[in-house]
Amino acid sequence: MQRLTNDDPESWLNAISIWKNLLELDAKKVKLSQKNANPLKRKVGENDIIAKKLKTERMQEIQEKKECQLEKQIEEETLEQGNFTTKRDKSQEELQNGGAEAVDTHNQNDLTFRVSCRCSGAIAKTFTAQEVGRVIGIALMKQFGWKADLRNPNLEIFIHLSDIYSVVGIPVFRVPLASRAYIKTAGLRSTVAWAMASLAEIKAGAVVLDPMCGLGTILLEAAKEWPDVYYVGADVSDSQLLGACDNLKAAGLKDKIELLKVSVIELPLPSESVDIIISDIPFGKKFKLGKDIKHIIQEMERVLRVGGTIVLLLSEDHQRRLKGCEESSVPLNSKGSRTDKPGSTECLNPEGKAAISEPVSSSFAASNQECLDRMPPLGSLVPVECYRVSLGKTDALIYKYKKSHSPGQ
Amino acid sequence: MKLLTHNLLSSHVRGVGPRGFPLRLQATEVRISPVEFNPDFVARMIPKVEWAALLEAADTLHLVEVPKEPIQGYEHDERFLRKMHHVLLEVDVLEGTLQCPESGRLFPISRGIPNMLLSDEETET
Repeated sequence: MQRLTNDDPESWLNAISIWKNLLELDAKKVKLSQKNANPLKRKVGENDIIAKKLKTERMQEIQEKKECQLEKQIEEETLEQGNFTTKRDKSQEELQNGGAEAVDTHNQNDLTFRVSCRCSGAIAKTFTAQEVGRVIGIALMKQFGWKADLRNPNLEIFIHLSDIYSVVGIPVFRVPLASRAYIKTAGLRSTVAWAMASLAEIKAGAVVLDPMCGLGTILLEAAKEWPDVYYVGADVSDSQLLGACDNLKAAGLKDKIELLKVSVIELPLPSESVDIIISDIPFGKKFKLGKDIKHIIQEMERVLRVGGTIVLLLSEDHQRRLKGCEESSVPLNSKGSRTDKPGSTECLNPEGKAAISEPVSSSFAASNQECLDRMPPLGSLVPVECYRVSLGKTDALIYKYKKSHSPGQ
Repeated sequence: MKLLTHNLLSSHVRGVGPRGFPLRLQATEVRISPVEFNPDFVARMIPKVEWAALLEAADTLHLVEVPKEPIQGYEHDERFLRKMHHVLLEVDVLEGTLQCPESGRLFPISRGIPNMLLSDEETET
């Protein structure tokens, strides 16, 4: 660990100077307006992408003897919106106390720092978090001459070692990435909502539907990022729609997002009238899914135009049901579904469509490929991508499909 | 509910099919509020508009200066786009009803949100 830490002092110093620049940007913006750092988030996102590109080039040179790969990277929005677990998210919330006050140090040697460490998986059996933290902290002190300050450091260094990856990072934001000033009541975590919206390939002039919008979280994120689009949200619950209304008002997006009180299995829209569908399908924990998931997807498929994209957030339960339906000919309909006839196959017949798997260009290709392989085609919906995300207590899957042809062709 | 939305909605009562469009609009409370004009967005919506339905709805609401059809080169005609922008996006029906032209079923609009939930008997399989 010491060797890895001291191996490449250059990249440490680079990371820190980038971090400082971002903080100065932050400090300036804070002085300009008392509003939250949300506009800043977007800008910082851009800088971070550039920073990340530089870093990954450097990364290739780092030798690893251990199985896990040590990557040095700045915690950033782009990573967050990918397919990462939210363990990092939680740790970020924990790290808020360290914070990042405007750094006035001119000289890197004056930095006080603290190392926060989290170990999970196999490595947690060998080392405790404190031990790892201490080793790395001492290595850093020797290398750079920084002073340790456990109570109120300038710089917080966060380390997470798990079975899948090793991360060394410097938190840039004081608040969790998912916090939004413009949302009064949050439903789905905003970062996951944004990730889904970004997968949906939203283009100007598109018609985007969320047929189970709840409090409208996904539509809000999408509308903030892709404003020249016509958004429609639908839900069966009055209270949810009222909450969504409030959120829209708070965000100033009342003119961009229309709400309807309709049921997802009976959408009052003509067939093939919607370009994009993004939806968080109720897991059954907070809200009950009254209808069968297959019926829901069938109706969504109907209103989606050919070539349109659909991005869904599913629980593992849903995935199992969908997959099970494809494999067996016995309909897996939930009880009380009045449209079922005994013995008939209500399953969406894939009609021999092979799954198209596109190359997944993330460092978690292996687990995502496996995820992709388990995606069943649904009628004319062809699987494109699949990501596993953590929602805190549970895991979920983001499925992306494209409609390849009209059903019945 | 904006007229752009009305233009997209169709009745899903059992057996009605494509004759469920367009829904007949009746409004008891309408609000006209300014919306930021985005010519690009309006231009992209024009090809999606069902004109007969739009004109009928605009007529019911006694709107004036509604273009009867898309004109040549509308993408660059600001006057045209502004008129369409007004009709499609700046008129908000807060209270009223939508009626299925085939079955006569009424769907209420309340606080700007149309309620189109159907009872079990009414839905198509």
